[in-house]
Amino acid sequence: MTGERLEEIHLFGKSVTMGKLLRKIFLVDLFTGLKVTFRSQNPKYIYTEQYPAERPKVGERYRGAPRLNINPDNGETLCIACNLCALACPESLIVVGSERNEQTKRKELTTFTYDTSRCMFCGLCEDACPVDALELTQDFELATYTREGQIWDRQTLEEGPKPTPYKC
Amino acid sequence: MPESTFLDSTELVLNMGPQHPSTHGVLRVILKLDGEKVLGTDCVIGYLHRGVEKIAENRTWAQFNPYTDRMDYVAAISNGLGYCLAVEKLLNVEIPARAQAVRVVLTELNRLASHLLWLGTHALDIGAITPVFYCLREREEALKIFENYCGARLTTHAFRIGGLQYETYDGFEREVRAFCKMFLPKLDEYEDLLTNNRIWIGRLQNVGVLSADECKEYGVTGPMLRAAGVKWDLRKAQPYSGYEKYDFEIPTRQNGDTYDRYIVRMQEMRQATRIIEQAVESLPEGPIIRGIGLLRGERRRPAALPGPGAPALFRELAGIGPHGERRADSGRGGGDRNTGYCARRG
Amino acid sequence: MADEQKPEGSQAPLPAKGEAAGQPPKPPTPAAKPAPPKPAAPKAPAVMAATPWDGELARSVKEQFGDGVKETSTYVGQNFIVTMPDAAIPVLEYLKAEAEFDYLVDVTAVDWPKRAERFDLVYIVYSFSRNERVRIKTQIPDGCKPQSAVGVHLTANWLEREVFDMFGIEFAGHPDLRRILMPDEWQGHPLRKDYPILQQDQRWVQENLGIESGQ
Repeated sequence: MTGERLEEIHLFGKSVTMGKLLRKIFLVDLFTGLKVTFRSQNPKYIYTEQYPAERPKVGERYRGAPRLNINPDNGETLCIACNLCALACPESLIVVGSERNEQTKRKELTTFTYDTSRCMFCGLCEDACPVDALELTQDFELATYTREGQIWDRQTLEEGPKPTPYKC
Repeated sequence: MPESTFLDSTELVLNMGPQHPSTHGVLRVILKLDGEKVLGTDCVIGYLHRGVEKIAENRTWAQFNPYTDRMDYVAAISNGLGYCLAVEKLLNVEIPARAQAVRVVLTELNRLASHLLWLGTHALDIGAITPVFYCLREREEALKIFENYCGARLTTHAFRIGGLQYETYDGFEREVRAFCKMFLPKLDEYEDLLTNNRIWIGRLQNVGVLSADECKEYGVTGPMLRAAGVKWDLRKAQPYSGYEKYDFEIPTRQNGDTYDRYIVRMQEMRQATRIIEQAVESLPEGPIIRGIGLLRGERRRPAALPGPGAPALFRELAGIGPHGERRADSGRGGGDRNTGYCARRG
Repeated sequence: MADEQKPEGSQAPLPAKGEAAGQPPKPPTPAAKPAPPKPAAPKAPAVMAATPWDGELARSVKEQFGDGVKETSTYVGQNFIVTMPDAAIPVLEYLKAEAEFDYLVDVTAVDWPKRAERFDLVYIVYSFSRNERVRIKTQIPDGCKPQSAVGVHLTANWLEREVFDMFGIEFAGHPDLRRILMPDEWQGHPLRKDYPILQQDQRWVQENLGIESGQ
């Protein structure tokens, strides 16, 4: 059905044909619409997700809560404190603190501060990371009761947020 | 308020918005009324002004890209495409064919998603509640494709200057084809519900008429111009991102009223589906981004430390002074300071 | 008001057109790469300057206005006419009447704080019948009151209000020159380059929002 046949219908049209008059009298258009409505009433078309009880499966590339990955073998952080994420971030909400280790002559991560309250989850920090240490995970429940709780330090970033699970 | 709002005995000045269901917080109209007749309006449009131009002045080219998503959050991909095309034009680079085709698929899907939100809420504002459920149901399918492709549903940040960041995922083409196949019958359903509906026609026909000349005079383009009878579409007139390769038509109508705009947009959705089908059938192989090197002016920008705009606790944890300077005693941040978070867990 | 010239930064000298130029196009790399390739080694960017535009339209505008037109140039396929401040509106009128440039796309400004004529005023016009876009640029000093374009294109009304609001350029003969985006009593014009990103009208914020600072 295209828009073409509708041109014929005018409000209180001057010269209505018999067919149109009958359509009007028998409310054909109303019943066409109602047919669509009733067709969608079938319970097998239920679309609503019962959110806290039924959890959505987010996409594999979903950009949610940030995480600072640690090497599972030795428990050390993967971050090499190169500061590229802080440079890439449009909101300057990442601050990387590092210290030079005199024995190994390498830069080591001391602090990592990430302000999720200003984050727009654009993924530029993740793209910039050369060692896949910083990652935006599939975790999407970031609500807190205070603004301060939105500011994550290294520990929270490594362990991940621990929201209270909904019990139902 | 201009002095023309001076009242006489039959006139009434009514403030509509910005907190009004049909203005969605973006617009305030000071109406001068005589009964139900609108005699004059004064529009206040600054409520959603966020100064993106000023933000752009203070960001690098690549950093500004995600902000374009937020200019119109139901058309994030289209906005991102516009920004990327503008920067690529300034750089005078041609992006790979595959990236162009994927951009077209996603942008047209975004057009469908955006039009569906328009259709649903438009009908809702007119008083028809049913279509909004159906429209959002189909929109959800498009948003799922976005989420699988780039990880976000609304503020997608899907494109990068020079091409794409993400390769298409496994099953992208299959899902897009399935969407198109599913979507066309649904469009017929919407038209069954609305197009011949007597209330719908009665409330849309001869409402808000803008003639073609008025449209040009006021700088109105898009579906509104096409509904006034001008067969003009930028994708045909000055094709970008490979639109010249696809076969589609420009739907037009003659009257320039709201009903014709509705018809034009419905036809546009069909054309968009056609474009998506063609684009996804012929997705070329190849690279998805081309390196464009450092943009001039980016290197001299130092890593910006959060300034006075950053929250106090953030500055404290990160060891940054009130004016954005790095303090000597940085590196003290500890987990126990994160009291807000711990209290919630309590 | 998305003008691609604005984010170029204030340090750049004229001509601005070459500022954002990148490297010349090179053939795309053959292999499919899912991951973004590393940016090419930074070379000195080849500055792409605007080249003279010598079309039929440019010639007729030059003939018509003589000294009023300083320059007709083109940059990556975008033609523009640089005019004297007085000639901008007559050129708009001429283009509308004689060349069917009937759609004023945008009026905007660019701030060059170190230049004597501080602002570039840019009019973008489009012709539906010719499918052609032309920019008209004119350089004006701070405090200069250019003629309003409302007499030529009605849509200039709000666009010029925006330029006034953001840059503080007043238009002579504008029917309703008020702020359009910022509150009416706001002090300062945000898109001037000497207006830093964190600046705001503290007094307005305190009086109207009842908070100490918007930060």
